Amino acid sequence: MDISDNKVLIANRGEIAIRIIQACRKLGVDFVCVYTAEDAHSGHVRLARELGGPSGLYRISSYHDANELMAVADAAEATAVHPGYGFFAEDYRFARRVMQRDRGIVFIGPSWRVIRELGDKINTKRLARSLGVPTVPGSDRPIYDELEAEELARSLFNFQVQQGIKNPLVLIKASAGGGGMGIEEVQDLDLFRSVYRRVRNYAARQFKDEGVLIEQRIRDFNHLEVQILGDRNARNIVHFGTRNCSIQSTGLQKRVEIAPGFDPSSLSYNFNAQKLMDDITNHSLAMARKVGYDSVGTWEWIVTRNGNPYLMEVNTRIQVENGVSAAIARVKGQSGVDLIAEQIRTGLGDPLGYTQKDISFEGVGIEYRIIAEDPANRFTPWVGRIEKFDWSGLGNEPWLQMYTHVPTDTPYDIPTEFDPNLALGIVWGKDLDEVKARGLQFLDKLRLEGVAGNGAPMKSNLEFLRNKTPDILKF
Amino acid sequence: MLDISSLLEEIKASPYVESRITAPHCGVVRFNETLTPGCKLVGPNGIWKEKPGTLLASIERERCPRNINALEKGELVEVKSDLAGQFVEAGTEIMRVRHFLSRDEVLQILLKQALHLFNAPEKAKYYFVPSVDIKIKNTGPKSVSVHDGMELFIISRMKRETPLRYSGPDGVIYAVYFSMNQNIDAGQPLIGVCPPTQVSQIEDVSMRVQTEWPED
Repeated sequence: MDISDNKVLIANRGEIAIRIIQACRKLGVDFVCVYTAEDAHSGHVRLARELGGPSGLYRISSYHDANELMAVADAAEATAVHPGYGFFAEDYRFARRVMQRDRGIVFIGPSWRVIRELGDKINTKRLARSLGVPTVPGSDRPIYDELEAEELARSLFNFQVQQGIKNPLVLIKASAGGGGMGIEEVQDLDLFRSVYRRVRNYAARQFKDEGVLIEQRIRDFNHLEVQILGDRNARNIVHFGTRNCSIQSTGLQKRVEIAPGFDPSSLSYNFNAQKLMDDITNHSLAMARKVGYDSVGTWEWIVTRNGNPYLMEVNTRIQVENGVSAAIARVKGQSGVDLIAEQIRTGLGDPLGYTQKDISFEGVGIEYRIIAEDPANRFTPWVGRIEKFDWSGLGNEPWLQMYTHVPTDTPYDIPTEFDPNLALGIVWGKDLDEVKARGLQFLDKLRLEGVAGNGAPMKSNLEFLRNKTPDILKF
Repeated sequence: MLDISSLLEEIKASPYVESRITAPHCGVVRFNETLTPGCKLVGPNGIWKEKPGTLLASIERERCPRNINALEKGELVEVKSDLAGQFVEAGTEIMRVRHFLSRDEVLQILLKQALHLFNAPEKAKYYFVPSVDIKIKNTGPKSVSVHDGMELFIISRMKRETPLRYSGPDGVIYAVYFSMNQNIDAGQPLIGVCPPTQVSQIEDVSMRVQTEWPED
């Protein structure tokens, strides 16, 4: 079966749904989109109507209802499902179900066994340790018992004191959370119970799961990622380099991503940055080969100031920031790499068609996450109507890619149900100086205006992004 | 002072509510073929409302049929019979029903006029703080006294939570107008608070509705 005989159900929304539509079009693969009432004015709905034909779009009650998604897949005669990120992207039960139901369809992501193995923190840590890969000290599984959580926190405080850390910290994380949601730090064991209960209650309300993870909080670190891609039989696993995702909100949510992860050619570090990037890449590849990784995935690392890396977790899905790695990658010398299209193509059974030797890197990329929020007020989301969103002042610069579900020709009310990401702006430059200059040029030309229900003007993170740009990749 | 007589007369002049029955999710819809426009419908009944209302239709997705029952007593106005056996999208209108306002609904309408309403300051999901939530679940909202400045709610937008303090007269929570995971628009009431000075008026409203509003 040729991959163009397939039809992909896009089980997601917003910007990632748009990028999956575009990738499907590029590959000549048909698609069907879904949307909820709150998303009726999203750009992905408009694009699906324009390009998807009469059976290209279905209204559903929830992006979380697997039964409904499968019913739409059947009604639209979809042969595959792309989960995007969030929702069902890392749910191995969903991946297993779509493959094993009577009318089985392809899950465009890793095989369900791989998701299960790497989604389980115990397995990931065990696998990492067996390969000599360092991991962050902390719980190996979600904890539901307050006394057990407190005991673990006590041991982590003691461990840090023994390590000579003056101000030990412990992180409490909602285990079902993601994207930095539901994470708080504790600096005093006496405060542990109250913070634990707060995070647990939050997790129960937002994620319907009270489980939390307890980990040592490593301060003064950089957050690096390694982008991996394997084809369906996992015989050919390659990497697309590293990213630096250290510029985050106070809630530890990423705001700027840069590829590659460090730039030793123009900046100096306290450690051998090139060796460190090579090491974490090799560690990530070794783990991927060990589990037979067969899709796109990201290995997330913490790197301390003295250059020690610790594996945090593996994200068995396409990530928001995949485009910045693609921006600096060249396959057989060609630019225009699209990791989402690669994920779909290989997920539907195409061989990768190239090896690591064919992949090279050129220049530096920055991805800006443009978000309606107030950085001065703990990054509180801003809700209201966007009245102007325009970057046409830049012309048609080839070094800029914009991905957004926000219409530029009509006002747009931001739904309150989802993350407040408005757009991703990916900027490329031949070196660090050029990409920073272009990044600032992009932010200066971008027009983003709106008004809240009470008449107050829109708040966004553009100024925050502007202020962070001069210091990117510095440790 | 609330003019209960005039409000009751106003409601009596238009005592019906017509509502759309929509598909709760995608699926293949099948109608209860015994029903035709004009048929009488009953809502949930029994001591604990444990018996579902009249079966209107069922909708099936992934071999999981789900019954759609009447939620109130009333009358069937229209059936979109062209949709029978068809796959419909979530939110598709499949029927229209109308019903005569119940005593409880009339009471709620009047209470909204009599109570101090604390409104949602912005579009969001709202929760009571855990201590109040537990109290309401165990003993009902009337067991909760509120005062100006009290931290009463959690506002949740895009999974970010911030506390919200109550502002208004002291009193007890007499009515709650939101539920878990429901999006509330700015300006919609969250709770109705009965200040001690208005208890007699609220009791009067309740008494008048009980005696003056007919219900089968």
